[in-house]
Amino acid sequence: MSLQLVFDALSLGGIYAIAALGIALIFGVMKLVNFAHGQFIAFAVFALIVPSANAVATLGIGALPAPLLITLVLAIGAGLAVLAERLVFRPLRDASPVSLMVASFALGVMLQNLLLVTYGGRPKAVSLWAGLGAPVPVLTAQVPLLQLIVIGAVAAILAGLALMLKRTRIGLEMRAAAEDFGMARLLGVKANVVISGAFALSGALAAVVALVLVAQTGVADVRMGGQIMLVAFIATVVGGMGSLPGAVAAGLLIGAASALLQAFLPPEARPFRDAFLYGLVILVLLARPQGLFAPAGAKPRV
Amino acid sequence: MSKLGLFDLAVRYGKLTALANLSFTVAEGERLFISGPNGAGKSSLLGAISGAVKAAHGRVEMDGEILSGRAPEEIARRGLSMVPEGRRIFAGLTVQENLLVGTGQRRDRGAVADDLATVFDSFPILGERRHAPAGALSGGQQQMLAISRALMTNPKLMLVDEPSLGLAPKIVDEVYERLCALQALRGLTLVIVEQSSARAARVGGRMLLMRGGRIVADGDAAGFAAQDLLTEAYFGDAA
Ligand SMILES: Nc1ncnc2c1ncn2[C@@H]1O[C@H](COP(=O)(O)OP(=O)(O)O)[C@@H](O)[C@H]1O
Ligand SMILES: [Mg+2]
Repeated sequence: MSLQLVFDALSLGGIYAIAALGIALIFGVMKLVNFAHGQFIAFAVFALIVPSANAVATLGIGALPAPLLITLVLAIGAGLAVLAERLVFRPLRDASPVSLMVASFALGVMLQNLLLVTYGGRPKAVSLWAGLGAPVPVLTAQVPLLQLIVIGAVAAILAGLALMLKRTRIGLEMRAAAEDFGMARLLGVKANVVISGAFALSGALAAVVALVLVAQTGVADVRMGGQIMLVAFIATVVGGMGSLPGAVAAGLLIGAASALLQAFLPPEARPFRDAFLYGLVILVLLARPQGLFAPAGAKPRV
Repeated sequence: MSKLGLFDLAVRYGKLTALANLSFTVAEGERLFISGPNGAGKSSLLGAISGAVKAAHGRVEMDGEILSGRAPEEIARRGLSMVPEGRRIFAGLTVQENLLVGTGQRRDRGAVADDLATVFDSFPILGERRHAPAGALSGGQQQMLAISRALMTNPKLMLVDEPSLGLAPKIVDEVYERLCALQALRGLTLVIVEQSSARAARVGGRMLLMRGGRIVADGDAAGFAAQDLLTEAYFGDAA
């Protein structure tokens, strides 16, 4: 197996893991599957460029020095998610999970249309950090610098998040709330603080995915969050709804499986790679309907 | 002034009336047992006090301040703590993390470490297993953890729902011994739901008997055991 394949699998899986975490964090505390997550990603992508219908984008925030740019885009992602919680999901907090899910669909459609009105429907060329495509020699392989950065960033984010959940007060409260929100509130844990915190983190993770997607593809497309949202959602189900490590592991697995299929399927079968991928997903779910890493006590819904 | 006051409190689930216009008060430092058959509305009563269940009518006051309509976390932050039915331990968190969940609101942050040490002193098993997942504890240990977790919020009033549920009689004795000792030490006001009125009589305190969402008797727990009031509460008009 070539070394390049390992890097492909890690970087793709890493992005899937970050996207899946964005879904799992909110599901954990609110039992909401946020289908607007893909549009959060798209929104963060378009936040980089100046509003116009031109085919080649003019960078706005995207032209700033990287540290400032990254901080701003993460803040925009977090801010958008927190605002969505305040305006859409908080009034619906006592509604059924299905109503919440439908509301998230509606929010996603509204966000997408907002982007369409502001930027037009055509995909745009965006050149963000063009130098990152340069190959770097690693042992026997030539790996694009961007891939190395993505893998490093994903590892740093996962470690940071794990530390935050384990070591900070808000992290403890989020984990308690994910197990039994009612009980946490009876102990004085503020529901609004925990839920806003989860949304802020989720939005910031959406912005990370946005930055990577733009840097990798060089395109800004109103629809670009949809596909990765689907994979991320599947990863949270495969990992076991409500399990954060499960979401990460399943994201990595799906990315790895995708890279492996791409490399080893016969060329004539490659266009149907996703069919094979989702076939594998179905097999996993048949074997373990509750997901690979379902939290203790979680049962599959009938 | 009484510690806790309920005035005309009602709880409904759809058409079902779980609590029908209850009124009573609890004095500071008192130990009040609430007994009665399954479905009498005991847990709904505690839920309505703690804010977990919405009252359809009436109000709850603690220290003269109205609690009704407030979120559970706001009520908890005013000094009310709950040991719920079935314990509701955070199984995936460690024992120590369970104990710390409710301490974020405390103003006396410095006292948290002392209180944690006190818990580990009085329940050495919790200290030994402080870094183990709470779900791995036995039922009795989980009950001790649920009680300690509630105490870590530094409450003035504690509601305990069926602490004896699913525990061996010897363990139940121990749970009550601990509860009473802690109450004396801290000057707590305790409201305890206990199915067994004989148990309540042995521990001692005031007792309310409920049936069908109403209070059917109110008096010294020791006086209840011998009376046919109990039979009346459990078998009612079916007789
Ligand atoms: N969440 C709920 N939804 C509907 N009915 C409920 C709910 N909780 C309790 N009840 C009903 O209310 C009544 C009182 O229940 P509960 O307060 O749990 O009684 P107890 O704790 O004395 O056993 C019962 O008839 C019970 O079935
Ligand atoms: Mg009950």
